[in-house]
Amino acid sequence: MILVLRTDATQPQIEHVIERVQELGFEPRLITGAFRTIVALIGDDNAPGVEKLDAIPGVENVHRILKPFKLASREFHRPDTVVEVGKVKIGGGHLAMIAGPCAVESREGLDRIAGHVKKAGANILRGGAFKPRTSPYAFQGMGEEGLKILRDVGDKHGMPVVTEVMDTRQVALVSKWADMFQIGARNMQNFDLLKEVGQARKPVLLKRGMSATVKDLLMSAEYVLAEGNSSVVLCERGVRGFEDSTRNVLDLSAVPNVKGQSHLPIIVDPSHATGRPDLIPSMAMAAVAAKSDGVHIEVHDCPEKALSDGPQALLPDQYATLMGELRKLAEVLGRMIDR
Amino acid sequence: MILVIKPDASPEQIDHVIQRIEELGFRPHVSRGTERTIIGVIGDERKAEVEKFAAIPGVEQVHNILKPFKLASREFQKSDSVVKVGKVRIGGGHLAMIAGPCAVESREGLDRIAAHVKKAGANILRGGAFKPRTSPYAFQGMGEEGLKILREVGDKHGMPVVTEVMDPRQVALVEQWADMFQVGARNMQNFDLLREVGQTRKPVLLKRGMSATVKDLLMSAEYVLAGGNPDVVLCERGVRSFEDSTRNMLDMSAVPNVKGQSHLPIIVDPSHATGRPDLIPSMAKAAVAAGADGVHVEVHDCPEKALSDGPQALLPDQFARLMQEVRKLVSAVGAKVD
Repeated sequence: MILVLRTDATQPQIEHVIERVQELGFEPRLITGAFRTIVALIGDDNAPGVEKLDAIPGVENVHRILKPFKLASREFHRPDTVVEVGKVKIGGGHLAMIAGPCAVESREGLDRIAGHVKKAGANILRGGAFKPRTSPYAFQGMGEEGLKILRDVGDKHGMPVVTEVMDTRQVALVSKWADMFQIGARNMQNFDLLKEVGQARKPVLLKRGMSATVKDLLMSAEYVLAEGNSSVVLCERGVRGFEDSTRNVLDLSAVPNVKGQSHLPIIVDPSHATGRPDLIPSMAMAAVAAKSDGVHIEVHDCPEKALSDGPQALLPDQYATLMGELRKLAEVLGRMIDR
Repeated sequence: MILVIKPDASPEQIDHVIQRIEELGFRPHVSRGTERTIIGVIGDERKAEVEKFAAIPGVEQVHNILKPFKLASREFQKSDSVVKVGKVRIGGGHLAMIAGPCAVESREGLDRIAAHVKKAGANILRGGAFKPRTSPYAFQGMGEEGLKILREVGDKHGMPVVTEVMDPRQVALVEQWADMFQVGARNMQNFDLLREVGQTRKPVLLKRGMSATVKDLLMSAEYVLAGGNPDVVLCERGVRSFEDSTRNMLDMSAVPNVKGQSHLPIIVDPSHATGRPDLIPSMAKAAVAAGADGVHVEVHDCPEKALSDGPQALLPDQFARLMQEVRKLVSAVGAKVD
């Protein structure tokens, strides 16, 4: 870690800085330049108390050398992590093709949609039972009944299932019925929830928060990993931008950006990122070309009657066409889609 | 255009809104609902300025029905525009592979880089002679001398050349030496410059401003088209955001977003969008898979000695490898590289 001192730092201040960093267990090396004095700290960048370094009088800014996450980092684990959801592998060349409706609405409806997406080549079924809706008056999900339907329909079609968990108190229940937890964008920094799913032994799909940097996302993954759950799949689902013709801005560069720093798989959700069915297929193709480990797409057979996020869902036919193109692309790129 | 009237608007205010609509040369169509009154404004919407209607007392919201651009729209021209730069086509399935250094620094240097990128498969050479640098103390470009070098090196390697024009006073000079104007992100809304290149008959590469919406970009293209120059290629090069590990945020969805609304070709510049050589290849491939009409990549054979934007340049080897991978994708998506 490097501390840059203020140009007007006094000698007593500099001495105080040295004393403080020694107290924190670092070995300081003083470098006196023509205009500035900087202090190089030898020791663990992630030691307790480091966040207080820029509060020491005379310190202008603090540069970290090590990454603030450890278990999630490429340095810690060189090869790509492969996460297993049921029998489906994600990462290391295996693509997750997650599809299904935004919310579980009825057994018959989910069964129809699952039949379509399975036939098209999807390998994991999604469906929300607990829904984080912007409006408190909007449909909030079917709860436990929805989880049971999701489980039954997934089993019928031979697909593992993923569903969102919003509250620490729901973790045990969701763990009982689902194969994978989804932590939604709004909960990416719900640290108690992250710790709770970290205690579970089911994989976690962690979506990027709408104003989270890539580093923030990796720090949240670190929470889950630090509790002992090593099966984390990240998901880029768009961040807030000023562009008003799409729901969010898909930050596709997050894919290679994560992969350079971390061994964890990362998939892309073009449905929430764009909010527009006309843009979803191109962005799904781009995601696979960018080497993401899969795509997450909302599909509904009657979007106008969907109880949640209908306007952004693909129709089963559109999804089947897209999957045909994605398979061709995956083949050219030498990647596998487990069935 | 639809005007939504405030719930507490008085009958006098509504009468005044109607009167103003007629004064502005439009026909009002009033619908009174149980909670709100809305008024349809009938007439040529492109001549209607939103601000004029939004400013009338009692009006809460103004909704446009038509797109504010015309010549750039898909409605105006159904088929994809194909822009020719020298003999190289861009659009309609033909991909532009634009490569070269950020700035022209010397004849020998540009010649070396051009030979590398040509061999790798690039079909248009780029190089800046006038450089818009954030710092006034940074290298500002070689000016006219740079343009001449770019022309000669392009001719030697059989590549058309594109270079940035920053000022309406440079348009005639740049037109003399280059095959394509580049209007940079910082000048996307330099309307006098847009009008000036619109008067010429050379194609224009128009980059998206760093805080411009897709609609803003298409409105700027409309300026050039309205001047009589039909050859505009758009370029997504990233927009500003809170993410601090990349230079900008590449808005890849701008590609299908533009293509749905406009017939103009759009290419992607992953170099400026990410500012990071480790992210450029993935984003270039993603651009081709997303249906972009080409990519624009900065290449330098000695990034650490580059006078401008060295850290984001690919090495010639890295570019050659990228082009190989891009070619595989190009055939998978059924496109061509001239």
